[in-house]
Amino acid sequence: MTSTPAVLRAHAEHQFADELERLAASDDRPRPTGWRLSPWAVVTYLMGDAEGITPKYVGRRRLMEVAVATLATDRALLLLGVPGTAKTWVGEHLAAAISGDSTLLVQGTSGIAEEAIRYGWDYARLLAHGPSREALVASPVMRAMDEGRLVRIEELTRIPSDVQDALITVLSEKTLPIPELADEVQARRGFNVIATANDRDKGVNELSSALRRRFNTVVLPLPDTPEEEVAIVLQRVAQLGTALDLPADVDVTGEIRRVVAIFRELRSGVTEDGRTKVKSPSGSLSTAEAISVTINGLTLATHFGSGPLTAADIAAGLTGAVVRDPVADRAVWREYLETVVKERRDWQDLYRACRDLD
Amino acid sequence: MTVTVLGVRHHGPGSARAVRAALTELAPDAVLIEGPPEADAVASFALDPSMQPPVALLVHATADPGLAAFYPFASFSPEWIALRHGLAAGVPVRFIDLPATHGLALLQEEREGRDEPRDGGTPGADTTDEDVADSGPAGPTVDEPTAGLRRTDPIALLAEAAGHDDPERWWDDAVEHGTDGALDLFAAISQAMAELRRDAPEPDALEVQREAAMRRAIRRAEKDGYDRIAVVCGAWHAPVLERDTFPPASQDDARLKGLPKVRTTATWVPWTHDRLSISSGYGAGVDSPGWYHHLFEAPDAPVVRWLQRTAALLRGEGLDASPASVVEATRLAEALGHVRSRPLPGLSELRDASLAVLCHGNPLPLRLIDRRLVVGEVLGTVPDDTPMVPLSQDLAALQRSLRLPAEASVRHRELDLRKDLDLRRSHLLHRLVLLGIPWGVRVDAQGATTGTFKEPWQLEWQPEFAVRLIEASRYGATVEAAATQFALERGRAEEHLGHLAASVEACLLAALPDAVAALMRLVADRAATDGDLGELMDALEPLAGIGRYGSVRRDDTAAVEAVVDGLAVRVCLGLAGAAGGLDDEAAAEMVGRIDAVDRAFALPALEPRRAAWRDALDAVAIRTDVRGTIAGRATRLLLDARVIEAAEARRRLSLELSRVADADRGAAWIEGFLSGTGLVLLHDPDLLGVIDQWLTSVPAERFNDLLPVLRRAFARFPHGELRQIGAAIKAVAAPTGARAATPGTTPATLDLPRAEAALATTLELLG
Repeated sequence: MTSTPAVLRAHAEHQFADELERLAASDDRPRPTGWRLSPWAVVTYLMGDAEGITPKYVGRRRLMEVAVATLATDRALLLLGVPGTAKTWVGEHLAAAISGDSTLLVQGTSGIAEEAIRYGWDYARLLAHGPSREALVASPVMRAMDEGRLVRIEELTRIPSDVQDALITVLSEKTLPIPELADEVQARRGFNVIATANDRDKGVNELSSALRRRFNTVVLPLPDTPEEEVAIVLQRVAQLGTALDLPADVDVTGEIRRVVAIFRELRSGVTEDGRTKVKSPSGSLSTAEAISVTINGLTLATHFGSGPLTAADIAAGLTGAVVRDPVADRAVWREYLETVVKERRDWQDLYRACRDLD
Repeated sequence: MTVTVLGVRHHGPGSARAVRAALTELAPDAVLIEGPPEADAVASFALDPSMQPPVALLVHATADPGLAAFYPFASFSPEWIALRHGLAAGVPVRFIDLPATHGLALLQEEREGRDEPRDGGTPGADTTDEDVADSGPAGPTVDEPTAGLRRTDPIALLAEAAGHDDPERWWDDAVEHGTDGALDLFAAISQAMAELRRDAPEPDALEVQREAAMRRAIRRAEKDGYDRIAVVCGAWHAPVLERDTFPPASQDDARLKGLPKVRTTATWVPWTHDRLSISSGYGAGVDSPGWYHHLFEAPDAPVVRWLQRTAALLRGEGLDASPASVVEATRLAEALGHVRSRPLPGLSELRDASLAVLCHGNPLPLRLIDRRLVVGEVLGTVPDDTPMVPLSQDLAALQRSLRLPAEASVRHRELDLRKDLDLRRSHLLHRLVLLGIPWGVRVDAQGATTGTFKEPWQLEWQPEFAVRLIEASRYGATVEAAATQFALERGRAEEHLGHLAASVEACLLAALPDAVAALMRLVADRAATDGDLGELMDALEPLAGIGRYGSVRRDDTAAVEAVVDGLAVRVCLGLAGAAGGLDDEAAAEMVGRIDAVDRAFALPALEPRRAAWRDALDAVAIRTDVRGTIAGRATRLLLDARVIEAAEARRRLSLELSRVADADRGAAWIEGFLSGTGLVLLHDPDLLGVIDQWLTSVPAERFNDLLPVLRRAFARFPHGELRQIGAAIKAVAAPTGARAATPGTTPATLDLPRAEAALATTLELLG
């Protein structure tokens, strides 16, 4: 089954339904109760294999193994990393592969209330019939417990501390008491929590040690090698491009290589030949941003350009991604353009395009 | 008559257990072990209760102890188990490898022209395995690293083929749980190795010789009439040591003919787990000696015990690691083992689990775990009666009497030199440093000098110090005698007077009066004949400094003082001649020397000569044919010493900076005058007054010309200082600023509004 064309972004379990089906059919290893696949098959789904399963995560297999093993031990999983290191992406695919459903989601914000984690009330019903299970509005966490599925909590550290604490009972007792009804919801097997947190915005709402102890932590790193990063961007650009009806036959590899190289150099503060130091801008310049710069460029090239992806299409997105702070970052970017980009003979088109924008 | 070959993994605990089982079953009447035959003489020490692994057999050339090979053993090394088993059973134990005498002689030939002492000998010993070490920069090919691994750790290769990254866990899974008896197991290993060897590249000459030597030793044991012979060797060699594969004896004899020889001595030295690890450069090393030690020693439940130790370590470092999290880590490690299709969690599962649960994803504590547990900081011990060179014996005795045991972990010790014991400890550490054995490293706080009672040291014993001791033993039989002799020899060969003076200081710290006296004679002789004043100047400060703390360290410094006095006279007389005719670079060097000499003359020991030095400085300061930096510096030193008044300094400053003078020279003068004195400008209002006064008197049009010159002088101050100077000038600019005026001017002559304008510019200039 493929996604309905009208949907902008299909859920992972729909987009990769055939892969999941194939894995389930050939998977003869023991599956934990409530799991659609065995842990081993989940890792294969994430990392891909030679028999047509596409890799969802490009990086160290170890990390995915730890993540899957964590969920198998019924400990909650905390995915940590700088922005754009595929935390949400991995969480979604884990939920899709394990529960067959990635839609139970709590998006953490600073304005979130306890109801989003526990339950709310349908006040019309509450007033008409008094408190009852029918008048209860279950949160995604409650539904996941009830159905024995995975629930995802995005941006855990953006949730206020007192609301975070509501999770402690859920994680340690695996029950959610409903004192109004003198009742409780007990988690069925298969329930677990995947949380993501961003360690760049540290200190927003630091996790309490009580909560932290209930999570196993997996830190997702930025890609180790330029090849890995280029592969990730290529793959995602192809997928997103299809969803946005962008032509698939445009050769983007060359520009992606340049974008990835620029991002890596600015991030690490040194050029890839290790000879020149460069300043790092304030933005995180993650792989996800490289993807969006490329998509942005592709869109420009398709709708306003002559077709092929050129330096001019990339330049605007690139400048926007690097220059987050209009003063400090602009200086950093100009210096990089003059000292690094200008010196590279085959990068002259990019240099001119970026200078023209200035 | 049977020969049973037990092919092992060097430092593999699984192999060690299997060897123990096999030897118990076999009850051999002779045990042959891969190792240098020279060690037979000291083998019996292995049973001594005070022999605690890790230890290493050290075989060195008797004449040149730097030419040495180590054969390390851990408690989990199969060879160690075999050695102790044979000795305990009372049967002969022989080492059967190619004698180290040949290996060392070959190394000596190869090393011709190479200075740096390197551990050498044969694989299995701590040598730099050429195949492994040299395959680096040329770009790793698929073949090369495995070629090295084949010889040193073929079992790891088998494990890798089976998809395991930890050969020991593979051994456990595949070998120990799957065979009937240890003897069958070794037969199977021998077969597997025969397969591996079939498509291996031709063995190199050394390997051919080593295997020939081992076969010859097996033949000899047979001839000696032993019935059940057990041979413990690296798995790689097992197939060619099987009795039925032996080539004719004459062929092996021919291979071993005419090898070079050196005279050798063998002994035991303490070793560390760190030096067993492959990252230390030991060719046959293992990645994780601490983990192997744990696997071998843990009575049961190695996974839980390991995580418990990890948690205890973290708790000791003040990190959160509750028993509950040990439970969770264990569960995760086991789940990971399932995901990775392994019957039991191995080290990589334990590391991943520790990272995710105990360290909360933070890699820093994991590094601590790797260093302290996975590798480990264990230092072995050897019995006191192990044959040692007299120097090592002397050191061992000193370590005991001074209660300063050798330890592998880093330790801080602050010695209080007023205490007799600490003083003697300090002497010992200083002497060892002189001998090139930096057991202790001084970790003085910045700027601290030897004039204090406290002497902080950082102590860390390295196993290779044992070798350096043997090397140093040619200088003398005791630490004191060897250090004295060493210092003398180095002193005689030293050409630079300044360096010579520094070694006098080192000898004083090490309390070597004989060396001090002899070196001082050398200094005096050299000073009398040496024409280069620069060297005399270099020598003056360290030597003059000696008298300063003589009383603290109870050293006799009278001999030094006489020489210092002679040096001081020569420096004063020679300064005028040496200061002229220098280029910029030499002038900068001269400024540094003048500073150093001036510091020396500030010491009480040189009080009588101080006036002469100042006269010499003044002579230089007013000369126009010396570089500006030198003249400026000399003026500054005179000002600091209050030899000249601030007014005089100001006059000289404006003279140098007058309109007709060369701007470059003016810049250099200011640079010399102000070098590094940002803070002094703050502390000394007179000095600030000089600059301030001068600046206010400079005509506006001239000021612009001077700007770059001044910038250069000020640009070297740290930023914070500049800001403070700016603040101080603001204070001066206030009405009380008149305070800054020098005695030569009266406040009434100040044109305040004008001065303020100039000060504002100064502020800007100073940033």
